[in-house]
Amino acid sequence: MALLKVENVTKRFGGLIAVDDISLEIEAGELIGIVGPNGSGKTTLYNVISGVYPPEEGRVIFEGKDITKLPVYKRAPMGIGRTFQIPRPFSSATVRENVATGAMFGTLSGKVSVDKSLQIADHYLELVGLYEQKDKTSGGLTPTEKKLMEISRALAMKPKLLLMDEAMAGMHPKDIDSMVKFLKKVAKEENIAIVAMVEHIMRAVTGFAQRVIVMYRGAKLIDAPTAEALTDPRVVDVYLGRPSREGEHAEG
Amino acid sequence: MGMTGYVDFGYVTFIALGTYGMALGITMFYQSGLGIGIIFIGLFIALFLASLSALLEAGIALRLRGAYFAIACIAINEGLRHLIEGTRIWGGSEGMIFWKEMIEAFGRETTIRLTTFWTDIAVLIIAAIAALITLIFMRGKIGYALTAVREDEDAAKVMGINTTKYKTIAFVTSGWLGAAVGAFAWGLKLTHVFPPDVFVIHYTVEVIVVVLLGGAGTLLGPVIGGLIYGLSKYWLAVILPGFQLLIFAPIVIIIIVAFPEGVIGLLKRRTKGTRLEKYII
Repeated sequence: MALLKVENVTKRFGGLIAVDDISLEIEAGELIGIVGPNGSGKTTLYNVISGVYPPEEGRVIFEGKDITKLPVYKRAPMGIGRTFQIPRPFSSATVRENVATGAMFGTLSGKVSVDKSLQIADHYLELVGLYEQKDKTSGGLTPTEKKLMEISRALAMKPKLLLMDEAMAGMHPKDIDSMVKFLKKVAKEENIAIVAMVEHIMRAVTGFAQRVIVMYRGAKLIDAPTAEALTDPRVVDVYLGRPSREGEHAEG
Repeated sequence: MGMTGYVDFGYVTFIALGTYGMALGITMFYQSGLGIGIIFIGLFIALFLASLSALLEAGIALRLRGAYFAIACIAINEGLRHLIEGTRIWGGSEGMIFWKEMIEAFGRETTIRLTTFWTDIAVLIIAAIAALITLIFMRGKIGYALTAVREDEDAAKVMGINTTKYKTIAFVTSGWLGAAVGAFAWGLKLTHVFPPDVFVIHYTVEVIVVVLLGGAGTLLGPVIGGLIYGLSKYWLAVILPGFQLLIFAPIVIIIIVAFPEGVIGLLKRRTKGTRLEKYII
């Protein structure tokens, strides 16, 4: 059984079709890259999966349960974690408290004490290399540190599926490589399916994903193993456009 | 209350409803022969009325934020006052006086001791309970949830926090404490209640100033803020009678602009990493 199943999901904003009849399946522990130019519907797809807004059509099924209309906050305890494109720390709280909040309300919700959550926080902060900063208020971190904190906060939720929104944008190439290595390791050890949404950094996609989904204008254009997907001529078309031929409109 | 990040201009409504709750308890049951027991009935009615109002506020807080929330709370306060005065329920604009009822229920001696000594004790107990609740909230899961709600509600939801639930808990707790203070410090102490005396926005503003001055979302903040505010207000009234508000307002504005995290917030930051840190809560 697939961990996540998205069936014919369509999400419209007035006349704009942000996500157009998308279906996809994600298995437990899978590493997936979602690529596509700006405005191709990636973030909307994330929002539908994490429950920020319900789709107009189609269903979202997680571990065999229909969660299409489930409130947002009920999804984290089921195992859906998420990071944001622009990190959203709870600024006045310390780094450690931020990460502990993830542990407290994630899949361990109701099963861990506050103290235990703080221990879990320490563990993940150590993994991402933020342990030294744990007592700083999170608002005072650098942008890269905020991203790392958000990732450890999401991991502390012990998710089965982690949706990462541009987690590596703005990072130094060296940092990206170590981040990719780290994520692959954690995903394997804890059996987390990670979906990384990437707009530009192909370096991150090739090193990370086993499978790549290319989105274009709200629809799924390609869904194939990484090497195959990225050499597909249509990917180049999507990003760079192509010369218009007779009877066709230039796209891009 | 400071923990949610919602500035509650409706706080005085809780106090007012608490006062009315006590008044209703005493006037309805003074002949029941329950003696001191009717005070607890009064308290119970106070808490019940405050719960309703807190749920109403929480309902609004789910939809409005910031200044709009504050305005809605002021509207509830004023609306309720005019409802009582206009429809003449609970004595209307004439209020309720229940000195006689209290004497009949408790006897003269007990009534005098109740209104002087025991109400003050009750307020101290309520303050202690409030401090205890704050401490429990801050140390517990609920404190983390409320911080998350205050800082970024949408991110909090995505992380599995039932924001509606935690906001409601915060409002109802705050409502109960306010109502308990109203029931004892206003109702039982003054033995009367008049709408213009209890639905006073001014008190709410004072509460907010005290909380901001001391440090919102901290335990010692309101205590320190209350001391600074209370003492300086009294002192200014003595040395420059009549001018105290004129002088006080700019001072409060300056303090709030200069130290947005309040005295305790500032101390917390200064003592970070020292041994004092764990005493500044």
